[in-house]
Amino acid sequence: MMFFGLFRRKKRAHSRKEAKDRLDSIVTGRRRSVPVQEVIPAELLKSSETDVVTQIKGYVAQRFKVKEENVKVQFEEHNGYVVIITNVVFH
Amino acid sequence: MVKTYVVTSGKGGVGKTTISATLGAALAAKGDKVCLIDADIGLKNLDLILGLENRVVHTILDVVNGKVTALESLVRHKQMKNLFLLAASQIATKEMLSPDDMRRIVAELYPKFDFIIIDSPAGIERGFRNAVAAAEGALVVTTPELPAITDADRVIGLLENAGMAEDDIRLIINRFKPNMVKRGDMLTKDDIQENLAIELLGIVPDSEDVIVATNTGNPITLNGNQEHAIAQVFSNIALRLKGEMISLEKDLVYGGPRGFREFFRRIFGRN
Repeated sequence: MMFFGLFRRKKRAHSRKEAKDRLDSIVTGRRRSVPVQEVIPAELLKSSETDVVTQIKGYVAQRFKVKEENVKVQFEEHNGYVVIITNVVFH
Repeated sequence: MVKTYVVTSGKGGVGKTTISATLGAALAAKGDKVCLIDADIGLKNLDLILGLENRVVHTILDVVNGKVTALESLVRHKQMKNLFLLAASQIATKEMLSPDDMRRIVAELYPKFDFIIIDSPAGIERGFRNAVAAAEGALVVTTPELPAITDADRVIGLLENAGMAEDDIRLIINRFKPNMVKRGDMLTKDDIQENLAIELLGIVPDSEDVIVATNTGNPITLNGNQEHAIAQVFSNIALRLKGEMISLEKDLVYGGPRGFREFFRRIFGRN
């Protein structure tokens, strides 16, 4: 019996179906096209950088009742986009 | 017609550099004048795969620093006289090159070549942005595995957001195993294409011969190997890049390993 067991192939589910389902759930909707009007030229941001920082600091300070100097606003480039990062220090 | 392509993937280890070298050699074998640019600064490999590692005198960093022009820095392939390499520097970092530098380099080379193929590093950071900056089109390489496909999806999104036309972003599936697909253990080309939703340019079956070619520094499409099944696949891809209509089914003629070992593995294989 042991000898014949060597040649017996154990049946198992094929993994393609599972991979397909997982891929569908990961990828579907993740990559959406960004309409051109959603992309703001970088020059526009540069010209109003100080104003943006002042307004964000003012809003966050008022919203969380913190001092403006405890609100830090940074502009960082990630993957070709400028991301505005706001740090609020809570006591 | 698009003639400057970046070969990219997101995930590392899917075969970008091998595909860049082999496709470049396939285009050169058809008579096109081809320049390969290694944009994987710090982790360069393209010169190794082409067997040119001992011939590199100047690198892309020398061009950026103004020591030589882009044309002066090129290394001509020892067998294919219309295949050239602009090598990356091993000691530099990706931050030493900017997207503008890459645009300037490609602009200098553009009128002199029929095709310029830029081998991108893995990832989506500075090195990727440098490589993509001057490209008119992209060849996104993936293997039929989830991590590679999902990374490819991310890269396609970034390329589209960077303004590259959807028609100019094309997919190459590498290390495809038709036998596994038949067994139901690998995603099919349709599964992959359906999810990535870009044109499929070619399917490169998994082959030990590609490893052998890398060992010897002779891309499988070089002279003398033209009849090899994998060389035929790259020839098909090259023709499709040149605008010819070649059926994708022709890439699948090569069905992977056959012979006694595979025969016994299938009979006695225990899963």
